Amino acid sequence: MQPWSKISKMPAPAIKKLQSELLTKMLNEELAARHPYYSELFKEKNINPAEIKGVEDLSKLPFTEKKDIVAPEGNLIYPKKFVLEPPAEDEQKGKKKGFALFGKKDTEPEPSDYYFFSLYFTAGRTAKPVPIEYTLFDLDNLKEAGLRAFDILELTRDDTMINAFTYAPNVHFWQTFYSTTGIGSTALQTGGGKVLGMEKILKAMDSMEAPVLFAAPGYARFALQTLEHFGFSAGNLERIILGIDYTPVTAVERIAKLMESVGAKDNQVHRMYFNSEAKSGWAECAPGFGYHTNPDHVLIEIIDPESGEVLGEGEKGEVVVTHLDTRGTVFLRYRTGDIATGGITTEPCPNCKRTVPRIMGDIERTQLYLELQGKEGTVEFNANQLREKMFTNEDVLLWYAEINRSNSEDEVKVVVKGTSGADEDALLKTLQQDLQAEYKVPVSVEASTLDAVANHIGLEKYTTEQTIFDHRDS
Amino acid sequence: MENWDKLSKMPYKEIKEMQDRKLRAFIGNQIYLYSPHYSELLKEQKIDPFKIKGIDDLRHLPFTYKWDIAPTDEDPQKAKNFVIRPDEEVSEKYGHLAKMSMTGGKAMVEEKMYDFKPVHIHFTTGRTALPTPFVYSKRDLENIREAGARLLDVFEVTREDIVINSFPFAPHLAFWQTFFSGEKTKVAGFHSGGGKIVGTKNLMDAFEYLRPTVAVFIPGYCYYFLREAVKQGRDFSSVRRIFFGGERVPPGLKDKIKDLFAQLGAENVMVLATYGMTEAKVAWPECPSHDEYHGYHLYPDMEVFETVDPETGEPVGEGEEGEIVYTALDWRGTAVLRYRTGDIAKGGLLLEPCPNCGRTVPRISSNIQRKSELKEFNMTKVKGTLVNLNNFFPLMMSHPEIEEWQVEMRKRNDDPFDLDEIYLYVATSGEVNREKMVADLKQKVLRDTEVSLTDIIFKSVPELVSQLGMETELKEKRILDNRPKD
Repeated sequence: MQPWSKISKMPAPAIKKLQSELLTKMLNEELAARHPYYSELFKEKNINPAEIKGVEDLSKLPFTEKKDIVAPEGNLIYPKKFVLEPPAEDEQKGKKKGFALFGKKDTEPEPSDYYFFSLYFTAGRTAKPVPIEYTLFDLDNLKEAGLRAFDILELTRDDTMINAFTYAPNVHFWQTFYSTTGIGSTALQTGGGKVLGMEKILKAMDSMEAPVLFAAPGYARFALQTLEHFGFSAGNLERIILGIDYTPVTAVERIAKLMESVGAKDNQVHRMYFNSEAKSGWAECAPGFGYHTNPDHVLIEIIDPESGEVLGEGEKGEVVVTHLDTRGTVFLRYRTGDIATGGITTEPCPNCKRTVPRIMGDIERTQLYLELQGKEGTVEFNANQLREKMFTNEDVLLWYAEINRSNSEDEVKVVVKGTSGADEDALLKTLQQDLQAEYKVPVSVEASTLDAVANHIGLEKYTTEQTIFDHRDS
Repeated sequence: MENWDKLSKMPYKEIKEMQDRKLRAFIGNQIYLYSPHYSELLKEQKIDPFKIKGIDDLRHLPFTYKWDIAPTDEDPQKAKNFVIRPDEEVSEKYGHLAKMSMTGGKAMVEEKMYDFKPVHIHFTTGRTALPTPFVYSKRDLENIREAGARLLDVFEVTREDIVINSFPFAPHLAFWQTFFSGEKTKVAGFHSGGGKIVGTKNLMDAFEYLRPTVAVFIPGYCYYFLREAVKQGRDFSSVRRIFFGGERVPPGLKDKIKDLFAQLGAENVMVLATYGMTEAKVAWPECPSHDEYHGYHLYPDMEVFETVDPETGEPVGEGEEGEIVYTALDWRGTAVLRYRTGDIAKGGLLLEPCPNCGRTVPRISSNIQRKSELKEFNMTKVKGTLVNLNNFFPLMMSHPEIEEWQVEMRKRNDDPFDLDEIYLYVATSGEVNREKMVADLKQKVLRDTEVSLTDIIFKSVPELVSQLGMETELKEKRILDNRPKD
């Protein structure tokens, strides 16, 4: 990766040129030569990587999808097909000699750049988790991405931080860890509710007088709502950085309001978008200004999820990731299944003036765009919006929704635990009316206990809570 | 920090001289000035810090106990007093000096930040006291990394190896010591977080995907994990070494583990042990050997070990059984002096060069009865007798026919004033003569722990695995005290 001070000010055409150079280098010098999956694919599909002259030719390459990278039953080592092999020793020596002759600084990567160093997994919310290999080279990139995100978030070593991202061998936890140690801030790596539990996390926040909390949105919301119950104050809390789960801007506003209501010192809320397949996470300088990506690390395209066609700036579509400067596991045109509602922009950020491409709007999951069976045919049901609606409802503490199939049509059942002090009967009634008015299938809303809902959604059991349960296949 | 190669070959006389020098400097320049707890204590007890000339003078300092540092509801910030930190007065002095320097003090500020600013935290585990935080500065992280490199050096792990770290993830020493070992040495690894985080099946998949040469585990979970792997016909043939943390590994368990690995295709796996404690901020390696115990190699430039009579507190001689007392040397962040670990080293402290590897650094005997294994249960009054529940571990872990076990203490009729009852749950590996086993176990438990069991209850392996919380708890619940408090 390049120096951040340079990349973050580079004009869009220069970024595009840099990306084209990195792409052609990656395709010709790395993937075609030493990537088991893509070198084979290029041969099979008669693709000559030398003909890909730059970013604009990227659409000549096929997409890679989740089904392509998941290990088939009985073949655990299949994902190794996506791992770049180290160059042969003589290949390396030859390159070094060539550069030395011209008296240039030897910038060729070391063979050790290609050796396996660490393993993370994709989040695996619905599908099987996929191993993603990191070399020391990738780890340096992850650390750099983390420092850039902290720069964007204006976090410094004077900020004491509580990392409440759930521990998993995953990019969100480790990027945050490397960032806090990298800048030298005082930080507690809690491992999240699954490891320490809510009470201990709140206690640590209180006793360390920490102004900054990293947490998944649902967990942050629950923490703020139960603070009083555990007898802790938010007097030192200034900022919450949300990650792991996708967070609509309205949810940011909801959390900011909650912070205010519990007497937090300040109520700044920021979003991060972590993407396991991109081997890094990106931060937003302020809510709504877009996730600032690293164009010297990965290339982002936004495509029409139906046709696969590349969309123009600002158009809603699926996020596709191409690695430009990675080792270990490498992907080309990987379809993330995430929809960026505001597409992508290469305009400089009006807030922080950084020029890197930004992923705009909210991130939604394609898996939550569901088709339900209605009385009069198929009904579109965007469960992302249901999540948003429930998240921003002030009277809802925890909830989940089940989609069940009866004989003739599908039904949506919402189970809710209201906040203490909320009139639960009124809440159920309003929700029932609102949701029924919106969805063209029968909706039922019922109340349940805190323990039952918390257990069902795996609040302290899974990496992040699960709220939508589609029972129609089972 | 000294060079490990040099240190490993240094005659003990020189090691002691180095420790004397470091201790003088540490107490005079750090502890006395910047440790709120100790500077107050020294003043209060009228101890002249400059009279501590070397490690032989340590006995003039009072002991530090767990309760001195553990936070309480009344004093939740107690542990902060053990953190080495220049107070405002000192900072002002630095500020003044800094302004006079050529760079406007930037370099000096950076240096002080590196030395003192806490950046990483571990907590003690335990049920009696509230978890106690132990903080590391950036400088301290260099120490834990170096300790990790030494650990791997003793274990003969190199960059050719791949490690799977199966310690449960927590802000605890075991997981992080393993992580920092890899960071320093660049030995590749997968830091899984353990079965609770990734699930036992995924962890097994990771073993088959990565083909590690080194596995790192806590013994109880490992034994369960390997049995499951055998049942599923997994291939772990790549594994050469396994190292344990958290508990002592009795010889019988070593044999069981080796046997299970052999069934998974890995012959003659070397079973290694580590000894560590949150308070010391590092872990130490046992010298590798298939069938002998040569003790744990210590880091004399990072700490001083003493062994004392647990009753009188008087130091005992070299090689004599005694309680391990730990003193930090050259640390920042949280640092304790003469900390009573409660762990008993049966074979004491050994200062002779290691007969196995020749390293000259002090060793602590392999046979350590760890207080932290059972926390408050190690010496528990059951039926009015002080019982050492530690002794359940070697007995049950080594038993060839027992796969899982758990001890539960109850009160008769759940009445706090009624008699104590002690139940042993066992799950066996196959069909056994239950009558014979009950008689045999009752007799052995009486012999080793001086307690007569109320009853022995047979359970199926899955039932007991779930009762132990093998997949849900950070560490399985071997001993349960379900006696209602009066």
